[in-house]
Amino acid sequence: MDALALDLLVASMRIASPLFFVALGGILSERAGVFAVGLEGMMLAGAWGATIGTFLTGMPLVGIVASIVGGALVASAVALVAVRFGAEQMVTGLAVNILTLGITSFLLRMAVGGGRAPVIQVPLLPVWPVPYLSELPWVGPMLFTQQLLTYAALLATVPAMLLLFRTQMGLTLRAAGENPTAVFATGSNPMRVRMLAVIASGAVAGLGGAVLCLQQVGTFTDGMTAGRGYLALAAIIVGRWMPVGALVACLLFGAAEAVQLRAQALALPVSSYTIQMLPYLIALIVLAALGRSARLPAAIGVAYEAPKRPSA
Amino acid sequence: MLRSLPRALRIPSGAKRAATAIGASFVATALLILIAGKNPIAAFSAMFYGAFGSMDRIAFACNKSTPYILCGTGIALCFRARIINIGGEGQIALGGLGAAWVAFVWPQHSAFMAVGTALLAGMAAGALWSGLAAAIHLWRNVHEVLATLLLNFIALLLVGEALHGALGEPGAGFPQSSMLDNAYWLPVLATGSQLHLGIVIAVVVAVAAHIYLWNTTGGFALRVLGASRSAAIYAGFSVSALTMKLMLVAGAMAGLAGAVEVLGVHYRLIEGFSQGFGFNAVVVALLGALNPLSVIPAGLFFGFLEAGALAMQRQVGVPSSLVSVIQGLTMLFVLAALASTAQRKAA
Amino acid sequence: MRASPLLEMRGIVKHYGAVRANDGIDLDVSAGQIVGLLGENGSGKSTLMKVLFGMVAPDAGSIVFRGKELSGHLPREAIAAGIDMVHQHFMLVEAMTVAENIMIGWEKAGRWLRTAEIAEMIRETSAGYGLDLDPRAPVGMLSFGQRQRVEILKAILRGAELLVLDEPTSNLSPPEINGLITVMRRLRAEGKGIVFISHKLAEVTAVCDEAVVLRDGRVVGRAPIAQTTRADLARLMVGRDVVAPIVRTDCAASDPLLSVENLSVDGPDGQHLVSDVSFSVCGGEVLAIAGVDGNGQLELVEAIAGIRRPAGGTLRIRTTDVSRAGVAARIAHGLSFIPPDRSRTSLVSEMSIAENLALRDVRQPPYSRGVFLSPRGLQAAADRLIEGYAIRAPGGRTPVHQLSGGNQQKIVVAREMDRGPKVLVAFQAAWGLDPGATRFVLEQVLALRGAGAAVLYISTELEELLSIGDRIGVMFRGRLAGIMRREEVDLERLGLMMAGTSDDSATLAA
Repeated sequence: MDALALDLLVASMRIASPLFFVALGGILSERAGVFAVGLEGMMLAGAWGATIGTFLTGMPLVGIVASIVGGALVASAVALVAVRFGAEQMVTGLAVNILTLGITSFLLRMAVGGGRAPVIQVPLLPVWPVPYLSELPWVGPMLFTQQLLTYAALLATVPAMLLLFRTQMGLTLRAAGENPTAVFATGSNPMRVRMLAVIASGAVAGLGGAVLCLQQVGTFTDGMTAGRGYLALAAIIVGRWMPVGALVACLLFGAAEAVQLRAQALALPVSSYTIQMLPYLIALIVLAALGRSARLPAAIGVAYEAPKRPSA
Repeated sequence: MLRSLPRALRIPSGAKRAATAIGASFVATALLILIAGKNPIAAFSAMFYGAFGSMDRIAFACNKSTPYILCGTGIALCFRARIINIGGEGQIALGGLGAAWVAFVWPQHSAFMAVGTALLAGMAAGALWSGLAAAIHLWRNVHEVLATLLLNFIALLLVGEALHGALGEPGAGFPQSSMLDNAYWLPVLATGSQLHLGIVIAVVVAVAAHIYLWNTTGGFALRVLGASRSAAIYAGFSVSALTMKLMLVAGAMAGLAGAVEVLGVHYRLIEGFSQGFGFNAVVVALLGALNPLSVIPAGLFFGFLEAGALAMQRQVGVPSSLVSVIQGLTMLFVLAALASTAQRKAA
Repeated sequence: MRASPLLEMRGIVKHYGAVRANDGIDLDVSAGQIVGLLGENGSGKSTLMKVLFGMVAPDAGSIVFRGKELSGHLPREAIAAGIDMVHQHFMLVEAMTVAENIMIGWEKAGRWLRTAEIAEMIRETSAGYGLDLDPRAPVGMLSFGQRQRVEILKAILRGAELLVLDEPTSNLSPPEINGLITVMRRLRAEGKGIVFISHKLAEVTAVCDEAVVLRDGRVVGRAPIAQTTRADLARLMVGRDVVAPIVRTDCAASDPLLSVENLSVDGPDGQHLVSDVSFSVCGGEVLAIAGVDGNGQLELVEAIAGIRRPAGGTLRIRTTDVSRAGVAARIAHGLSFIPPDRSRTSLVSEMSIAENLALRDVRQPPYSRGVFLSPRGLQAAADRLIEGYAIRAPGGRTPVHQLSGGNQQKIVVAREMDRGPKVLVAFQAAWGLDPGATRFVLEQVLALRGAGAAVLYISTELEELLSIGDRIGVMFRGRLAGIMRREEVDLERLGLMMAGTSDDSATLAA
C-alpha cells in the first residue's frame, strides 16, 4: 500500500512537472491583465524548439534556449495583436494556438524531415538525485530525485513570488492588470508593461515544453501538448493566480491523471474519464463559487488605450 | 463579466477585410513553402484542384464546410451581441453524442423519424451545454469565455466516457460506437455522390439566422445589445434573457453540426470527431464579419481549404498542417484589422 | 499667511468648437493659501483645472508655477513640478493595500520595495496630518472618504506644493468633511497652496481664504472670504439676465400622475445617493429640479425610469404602483424618459433614424407585426416624425451618427413624446444644443404639458428651468431641498439651496 502511494506521488510529480513552468508563465500574463489562452501554443513552440535544438546540435542547453525563444516568439504575436492593437484576448490566444500547431508541424516535416514526418530521438535529461536529501523517505523520491528542469521549476516559484510581490517591477505589472490608468498616472506605459509581461510569459511557458520533450518523451510529435496549456490555465484559476497555489494545483491535476492511469490497479468505482474531467470541473467550481469575488485581476481582458498627448 | 466589452469586435464591414486577411495569410504561407524548399504555386494549385477538381471533390469539400457554417452562424450571432462563446468544441461533440444516443436508445425505422429525432436530440444536447455555460455566467458572474472554454473539455471527456461505456462498440479497438442503422444516415443529394443533406441544412439555418438578425424584433434587440448595453436596458430589453436565448440558439446550432457529422459522414460516433471544429468556427464567424449570410462563403472557404490541403500533401508533399497555418494567420490578421479600425475610430 | 505667488495662470482661453469653456481666465494662488473656485456646471472650472494639470492644452494663456513656465505638459510632468490633483474618480487599485498603491511608480520605494520603510512613512505622515490611514489596509475595503485620503497622502508624499481638490466633498459624510477641512488647514499651515473646487458655499466660506467665481468661462467675482458673504457669492454664481420665460398658458392641475414616495438609491459602496425623496407631479404641470451635477439627480431619474434599482420607496403612475415594473412595463404605463447620454444610451449611433425612433417600442405596431419587423411601418413612422419634428436629415435610413447633436436630440424627443405619455422624465434634455434647438425642446415639453401630461424636468441650466417650470425644486446631496412655485422663486434663495443652505453650516468645524 505504501509502495502504491509513493508510486502515485512520484507519478503525480512527473506528470505535473511540464505544467509548472507553463502555469508560472501564465500567471505573469494574467496578472498583467492579459488572458493566457495562448499558453498551449507557447508550450508547443517551446517543445518544438527544445527537441529540434537538441537534435540538431546535440546539446540540451541549446534546446532549452530554443524552447525559451520559441515560446517568446509565439507570445510576441499575442502581444502585438491583443495588446498593441487591442484585439479580443481570448480569440487571439485561440488563433495563435491554431497557428502554432500548424507551423510546428509544418516545420518539423519541411525543415528536418525532408518532407515527411521524421522520427527524432533526443536523449532525456538525466536524473540528478540530491545527495542525502534524496534518501529521505517520501520526499526523497518525490522532490529530490528529479531532473534539472523540474528542480528549476520548483525553485522558480521563489523568484516568481519575489518578483510579483516584492519588486517595483512586479508591483507595476500587477497594477497594469488591475487598473492600467493608475499605472499611466504614475509615469509608466501600461501597454509596454503588458507586452513585456506577455513575452516573458511565453518565454517561461516555452520551458514547460522543454520539460515535456527533454525530460519525458524525448521526441516531438504534432500537437504533443494535447491541451496541457489549457490545463495550466485551469491550474492558475484554481491556484488563484498565485505561483505556489498554481503549482499545487498542477500537482493535484497530476495526481488526478496518475490515479486515472492506474485506475485498473486501484479498482476505482469512478471511470477514468471522470477523473480526467476533475481539473476542469474543479476550476469551474472554484470560479462559480467565488463568483463576484473571484480574484481575477480587475482589468484582465480589457484592452488598454493610451490617452493622447495634448498638442502643445 | 459583461463589462469587458470587446471593443475590437465592433461590427465590421468585412468583405474587403476578409479578403485582405486571407490574401495576406496566403502570401505568408507561400513564403513558408518557399523557405521549406517547395514551390508555392504548385502547392496552391494542387490545393485548388484537390478542392475543386471534380464533382466528388466538391462534394467532399461541401461536407467539410457544413459544420463550420452551422457552428459559425451561432457564434456569429453571439459575438454580434458581444457574447464571447467559444464553447463550439464541446457543444458539437455533445450534439454528436445526443444524436447517437437517441439512435441507440430509441431507435426509429422510418428515415424521417430517425434523422429527425437524432438531429433534434443533437440540437437539444448542444443547447443544454451552452445553456449551462450561460447560467454559470449569468448567475455566478463567471466570465463567459472561461465558462465555455472549461466546459469544452468536460464535454469531450463525457463523450469519451460514453464511448467507453454504454455506447461503445464491443470489440472495436478504438473508442467508437457501433455503426448506426441505415435509417439514420443523412440522405445524399445525388445518388452516387457523397454530398449529404447537411449542406442544405447549413444554408437553411444560416439564412434563417440572417432573417432573424435583420428582420425580427429579437434580432433587433440583439443588435442593440451588441452596440451598447445601456441602450439595450434603456430600450426595455432584458439583457440576461437575451444572453440566455442567444447561447441556447448557438448551442443548438453547434449541436446540430455535431449531429450532422455523425449522421452524414461517419455514420457512428467516434471519439475526437469534432476536433478543431469549434475553434475554427470562431475564425469562420469573424471572417464572415459576424453576418450569417457571409458565414456561408467563409465556412465554404474553410471546408475547401481543408479538402484541398489533403490533396496538396499527397501530390506535392507539402504537409496538410499548413491549413492550420493559414487558418491561424487569417484569424490573426482579421483580429488585428478589426482592432486597428476600432482604434482609429475611437481616436 | 501670504507668501510668494505659487501659481500664476494668465489669460487662459480654451474653446470647444463654438463654446468658450475658458474665456481669458486669470488665477493666482500663493503658498499657504486656499483658493475656492466656485461655479455651476459649464462655468469652466473643470476645464481650467484640466489645463493646469496638463490633461488639455489651452488655446491661449500662460501658466507659471514656482517661477517656471508650464506648457504642453502631461499630468506626470505636472506632478513632477509639484502640482497634484485629487480627482473625483480615484486612480487607485482596489485589490492592493494603501502602501502598495502609494508605491506604484514611486522611485523612493526602490527597485526592491522597501515596504516596511514606506509603511512607517505612511503611518507617520498620515498621523501628522490627521489622515489616520493603515498602510496595510486593502483599498477595496476603505470608504470613499478614506480612499480620498489615500490620494491626498499620495500627493503629499510625492512633494506636491499645490494641491487641486475637485469637488472633494461630493460623497463625504459631515464628519468626513470636517476631517478634510482639518487636513486642508494643516496643509495650508505648511505653506502649501490649495485650489478647492466646489459649489458648496458653506464649505468654501469655512475654509478658503479667497473665492473666485466663474460663470460662462469668465471670472465674475474675486474676493477675500473675509470681505464677502454667502449671499454675495450665490448671487454671483447664479445671477444672470434671466430671459423672459416662454409664454405659458396656465393649466389647471389635475390629480397626480407621478407620485414618488420615500425613494432612496444607494451606490455600490453603500453611499446614499438619493435619500428619502418624495414628491408628486400633476397632469398639466412641469416640476423642474435644479442642482449641480452629482447631487443624486441622475440616480433619481434612473430609478424612476426603471434603469436603476432603488434601495427603497414607491413609485406610482396615476394610481398604479410600478415600483417593481421593468423598463418596458413602465413605458407601457405611459412613462417616457429622455436620458442624458445621447452617444450611448438614448440612441444607438450605428443604427438608422427609423430604427432609433422605434428603439423602445419595437415590439409594438406599427414597427413590427408579430415577431417580424415591419420596414414599411418603420419608414412611415420615420417620415412622419422627421417632418413633424423638423429633423434635418436625408431620410429615415440615415445612420444617426451622421446627424448634428441638435438633430439627434430631436429624434430622442420625437420618440419619447410621440408615444403620448402620461409622464415625461427629462434629464438634461437640452444639453449640448444650440439656443434654437434648446428652444425647440422646451416648446415641445410645454406642448406636452398643455396636452395634460406630467413632466419632471431636470437640468443644471437655470434658464431652462425658470422658463418652463411651474414648480422648482433643488436636489442637494441626494435630498430634495425644497420646492417652490415659480412665482415665489428667488434666485438668491435658489442659488443658496443649490450650494447648500444654512443647515449645513452648523456641522462644519469652526
